[in-house]
Amino acid sequence: MHPHAASGAKIDMPGVKNVIAVASGKGGVGKSTVAANLALALKMASHPVGLMDADIYGPSVPIMMGVPPLDPKTTPFPIEKYGLKLMSMGFIVNPSQAVIWRGPMVHKAVTQFLTDIAWGQLDYLVIDLPPGTGDAQLTLTQTAPLSGAIIVTTPQEVSLIDARKGLEMFRQVRVPILGIVENMSFFVGDDGKRYDIFRHGGGKKLAADAGVPFLGDIPIDPRVAECGDLGEPIVHKYPDSAVGKAYRALAATVQEELQKAGQQPELPGLQF
Amino acid sequence: MSTAQSEPLRPLALSKEGSDRLRIDWNDGHHSVYTWRHLRDHCPCAGCRGEFEQPADPFRILKPSELNAPPLAPVNVAPVGYYGYKIVWNDGHDSGIFTLEHLRSLCQCAACAGNQQ
Repeated sequence: MHPHAASGAKIDMPGVKNVIAVASGKGGVGKSTVAANLALALKMASHPVGLMDADIYGPSVPIMMGVPPLDPKTTPFPIEKYGLKLMSMGFIVNPSQAVIWRGPMVHKAVTQFLTDIAWGQLDYLVIDLPPGTGDAQLTLTQTAPLSGAIIVTTPQEVSLIDARKGLEMFRQVRVPILGIVENMSFFVGDDGKRYDIFRHGGGKKLAADAGVPFLGDIPIDPRVAECGDLGEPIVHKYPDSAVGKAYRALAATVQEELQKAGQQPELPGLQF
Repeated sequence: MSTAQSEPLRPLALSKEGSDRLRIDWNDGHHSVYTWRHLRDHCPCAGCRGEFEQPADPFRILKPSELNAPPLAPVNVAPVGYYGYKIVWNDGHDSGIFTLEHLRSLCQCAACAGNQQ
């Protein structure tokens, strides 16, 4: 085991300028879609970017990026696709195989993704977290040099309740919250009319209540799911679609918020 | 929860005072002191908290290793993320993470000890 895995000490990633955690309290809000498209949008803004899938039990990055399972004995990680550096448990484990692990194994896997993968020089490493506030989140907040966290929610109250919990977790462990993204925010039909399918404005209200920035809303477009399933995220395939533009605007806002947040000062140690 | 405007509580320096005390200088100008025994007695780990909640066992028999144990001392105090410290003790115990807020609440300086009474 890597020494950091045992000690809980902060992992040094000198080549990576910014580490961004994309989180949600609840599953199914499109967090992996947001993480993948945000990573690509940052890449399209001419930055070297990595995408690390920290969802050990249910990795989504392989399908979304169109990468089949690979032989870990012969494949050097991270792999590259669309100019992004990628790492996921899904590259190692067959999609039909369940990963049935207790927390310490998840901790070890996440730590190894950070320490043993040659990420090289990156402006941004986007980390796609599993839903909730469990082992992967704790490991990352204790050991990864996180620059900030983005909370993804959908507009309705049932999602907002859990988004608040995710937000509170990052607050308690003092990771800067870059802001909240409202995904599946609205739909514009062929008639040009706007439909708020899952209600609207919950993300903005949550951000205002919590005193954190609202980073933007991403509309619903059936092509988001189609692109995800076909392994080419929408911001790459349809960059000028409404969703593609929303992701590119999100990338610009995230960069601004990272600059405002600045570098989090490390805690002083004690000499022995 | 700290407000977005105010500077969150943060230690600026940790140092040892003699062999039995830890000193923390905070960013609000406060200086905390703690005996190592006080910190160990308030270890926030699940095992220790469970022990605190149990009534003392009147029939507990000390093990030889406990009788011959050296005086309690830390062997490492390491930051955990941006929010706390893990203390590794000379008996091997290391599962407690002391959040900054918890550490501050445990301060044994004259002013804080007076407030706690």
